[in-house]
Amino acid sequence: MSKRIAIVEDEAAIRENYADVLRSQGYQVQTYADRSSATQAFNLRLPNLVILDIGLNDEYDGGFVLCQQLRAKSATLPIIFLTARDNDFDTVSGLRIGADDYLTKDISLPHLTARISALFRRQEALKKPINDDHITRSGALTVDSQRMSIMWQNRSIDLTITEFWLVHALAKNPGHVKNRTQLMTDSKIYVDDSTITSHIKRIRKKFMQHDSSFDCIETVYGMGYRWLSANNIADDEG
Amino acid sequence: MKVNIANMANSKRLNLRFGLRSKLLLLSSFLFVIPWFGYQYVWEMEKYLRFGQEQTLVGTARALATALHEREKLFNNQASFLPNVEQGKDLYGYKLTEAVNLDGLANDWPDFNQRTHFYNQQQQLFANEPLSLNFKASVGKYNNYLYLFFQVVDNRVIFRGENTRSISNNDHLALSFSDANNKLNRFIISNKKAGWISAFALADDSAIPAPAPQIQGHWLPTPQGYNVELRVPLDNLGDNIAFAFYDVDKNNGEAVSAIGSADPSNEESLGTIVVPSPEIERIVKGMRYTNSSIWVVDQHHRVLASAGSLKSASGVWHAKEQQPKEEEKNSLWYQFKQQFLLPLYYKILTKPSTDFIDQLYDAQHLQGSHIVNALGGKATSQWRLTTDKKALVLSAAYPIFINNQVKGAVIVEETTNGIRSLRNRALEKLFTVILAIMSLGALTFILFASRISSRIRQLSNQAELAIDKQGRIIGQMQASNSNDEIGDLSRSFTTAVNRLSEYNHYLENMSARLSHELRTPIAVVKTSLDNLSLLENQQAQTDKSNNPYIERAQTGIKTLNLILTNMSEATRLEQMLSSTEKIDFDLQQVVKGCISGYQQIYPAMQFNLNIDVNTPKPSTFLMHGSPEHIVQLLDKVVSNSVEFSQDNIITIELKKSSNKHDAELLISNNGILLPEQLSESLFDSMVSLRDENQKTQDKQAVPHLGLGLYISRLICQFHQGSISAYNHQNPAGVTVHISLPTKV
Repeated sequence: MSKRIAIVEDEAAIRENYADVLRSQGYQVQTYADRSSATQAFNLRLPNLVILDIGLNDEYDGGFVLCQQLRAKSATLPIIFLTARDNDFDTVSGLRIGADDYLTKDISLPHLTARISALFRRQEALKKPINDDHITRSGALTVDSQRMSIMWQNRSIDLTITEFWLVHALAKNPGHVKNRTQLMTDSKIYVDDSTITSHIKRIRKKFMQHDSSFDCIETVYGMGYRWLSANNIADDEG
Repeated sequence: MKVNIANMANSKRLNLRFGLRSKLLLLSSFLFVIPWFGYQYVWEMEKYLRFGQEQTLVGTARALATALHEREKLFNNQASFLPNVEQGKDLYGYKLTEAVNLDGLANDWPDFNQRTHFYNQQQQLFANEPLSLNFKASVGKYNNYLYLFFQVVDNRVIFRGENTRSISNNDHLALSFSDANNKLNRFIISNKKAGWISAFALADDSAIPAPAPQIQGHWLPTPQGYNVELRVPLDNLGDNIAFAFYDVDKNNGEAVSAIGSADPSNEESLGTIVVPSPEIERIVKGMRYTNSSIWVVDQHHRVLASAGSLKSASGVWHAKEQQPKEEEKNSLWYQFKQQFLLPLYYKILTKPSTDFIDQLYDAQHLQGSHIVNALGGKATSQWRLTTDKKALVLSAAYPIFINNQVKGAVIVEETTNGIRSLRNRALEKLFTVILAIMSLGALTFILFASRISSRIRQLSNQAELAIDKQGRIIGQMQASNSNDEIGDLSRSFTTAVNRLSEYNHYLENMSARLSHELRTPIAVVKTSLDNLSLLENQQAQTDKSNNPYIERAQTGIKTLNLILTNMSEATRLEQMLSSTEKIDFDLQQVVKGCISGYQQIYPAMQFNLNIDVNTPKPSTFLMHGSPEHIVQLLDKVVSNSVEFSQDNIITIELKKSSNKHDAELLISNNGILLPEQLSESLFDSMVSLRDENQKTQDKQAVPHLGLGLYISRLICQFHQGSISAYNHQNPAGVTVHISLPTKV
């Protein structure tokens, strides 16, 4: 059974373009131009994934409202914001009210489809029993590449797909400096340097909610970031 | 812009030279006209007062004269009827103010030398031998006595012999006068020795002289001869008098010569005597309350009566100066007035002198054209100065008529001291008031002017502070609430600055807004292209033809996207900075890390990092801020330097500023210089120095929006630092100077 994806987007051309590409990928796509029609449809039946724009016609924050309603109906429904608004404030707000990812419209379609399939994969994986083959441990960090989840000191850290890819890219080679371009490629986004900086900051905060002494992501000024495992820290001190 | 600044500087200099305050002060100097008018007014007042005083004085003289008109008796006694008077024969009894001591000495006679008459051979009665006698005589009146003083010069003084009966065979004085009944009384003073005189009355019928005790006096020998001082009671005395000295040169000899005012034995030849008349004086006394000095003269200018003294005659305007009360004397104001104000005023004013000397009138004889006029029957008044010119005297003379003939005159005199002290008091008050008004006025003017000029200066300072050298709005202006023109000016300034700042803000955000608005259509194109390329790919697999146009369109869209991202970078940065938490970090470490990173990114470039070796501690460059943004700042500046470098050498210098509070970062490259007019605005939004040539040479084909250095400035401002760029020479190039405050 193919997955059903709902796109809520007021700009018809973009909406149809996205719908076309997703349909060509084999998904069932339903498109809505405004919040009221989308709400009606979602009341009848929930899709498997929702792509939301924030501004919907006259409603400046219509996407946010819709996201809250959907999150109330289902805690696990993957929700992606795809919007022209690239400021930090909207990003933080979107992720805080429960979106699984926040993307700007300059993302390329292959990147978008890669994310969507990653989200579905993660959902699938959650239903399956934990398979140790996909789990790598490094000190306090546990990465489950199948479920796309991260554990720190055996506690799950709730990360978006983009954030997971970033941490995954860093933690794969502890001690190696990854510059921003490399990180962008690995996390399948194309943004400017300061957006990477704010992503890294958000990731640090999420880790520090569980462990206030977390300092494994080090900024290498002028170059990028690297993951410091316990061994690396010991090396540095030695 | 530069011209404007020069103009402003010019006008500022002009302002200093002739500011509002000095203009107002100049205008307020018209206040000085007020005291001048006041002064003129007081002078005018004095003129009228003088005129009034003159009228009053003439009135006083007329009133007194009226009391004396047609009172023959008063004047008959006084020998005023004589057509003329003969000096030495017609005598005048001066009014003595104090009793004289009958001791033969002249020292208690006031003004003895001026008031004596000298008798010599011109007044001789007979001379059998050459004259060896002369004398001086003075006559005075005190109370009820007529006093006579004689100073006789005689070569030999012969007293009456001890046993001599005769009273005339020695040096003697013969004195004759008529009494009230016109009967002649004759006396001879003939002494046996010096001391109390012996006076004898000669009777016509009896040859035996009888002692006359009513005549008292003293006989005092002197080296030149002798002095005789005697007194006669006035009630015996009529109008006529004569005295003569008889000189005898040997004991018991006959008189050899005689000198005298007239022949005492001849009743017809007797001279007259005038003494100040008690009757007239009684009338005149009634007028002494007028604060005037009053004389009554007969037609021979001889004083018949006088009252008052010129020194106390300061006129009706004279009011006694009120003595201030004790508490008033202790008051600060009084002290201030006495010590500072009055000395100041009297530098301009003159105090009327009570110490003047007037010698115009001698006590017997009054001179002056007004008296001559009055005795000619015409009332006159005149102004004159006292002989020492210290006081101004007003005299009025009025004739006294008896039987249509002028028999005398009343002369009334006053000084203008009363008016002058009145004027002085008026001027004192005027000056005090004017001084108070002027100082208050000047103070108000200065305060007002200071207030206005300070407000205007404040406004101009605010305006200058609101806009920086590059014309950027850096602050808000506080609109004034005051309701006047300066308030209006301030409000319109504020509005202008606010509008300008809104416009500036609009311009600065323009790129971000533009990028946001463009994003949706670009997304449409981009997704369409992506879809198209997917379709193409599927077709390509079948017919193996590749369409290059889609790829080109995708490249173009990618670049367009990059431009949009760059355009909104500054706005995003501003938003991020506002929510960035500051942490402590070592700037030296950040710079070192970045430089090694750049070495990798730009392998062709050579980076020379000079860190001040004099810095004592590694913590010298400890900063409080956001290291990520400092890195971003370095990225922007270094990439800029790399692009403009011609010899591929970038020199970075990190040192402590001279004031020890700032870290200074100097990034220099050698290459083309900055154009002069752009060095200030280089760090503004959307300013790029890249010329057309460079753009075509630019291999990376990365679009330049001139936002890089603007972002650098935003980061510097976030750290309370500053950034500037200047040209350096030998080799020529540009140095970017970044100053960031360190944590101390």
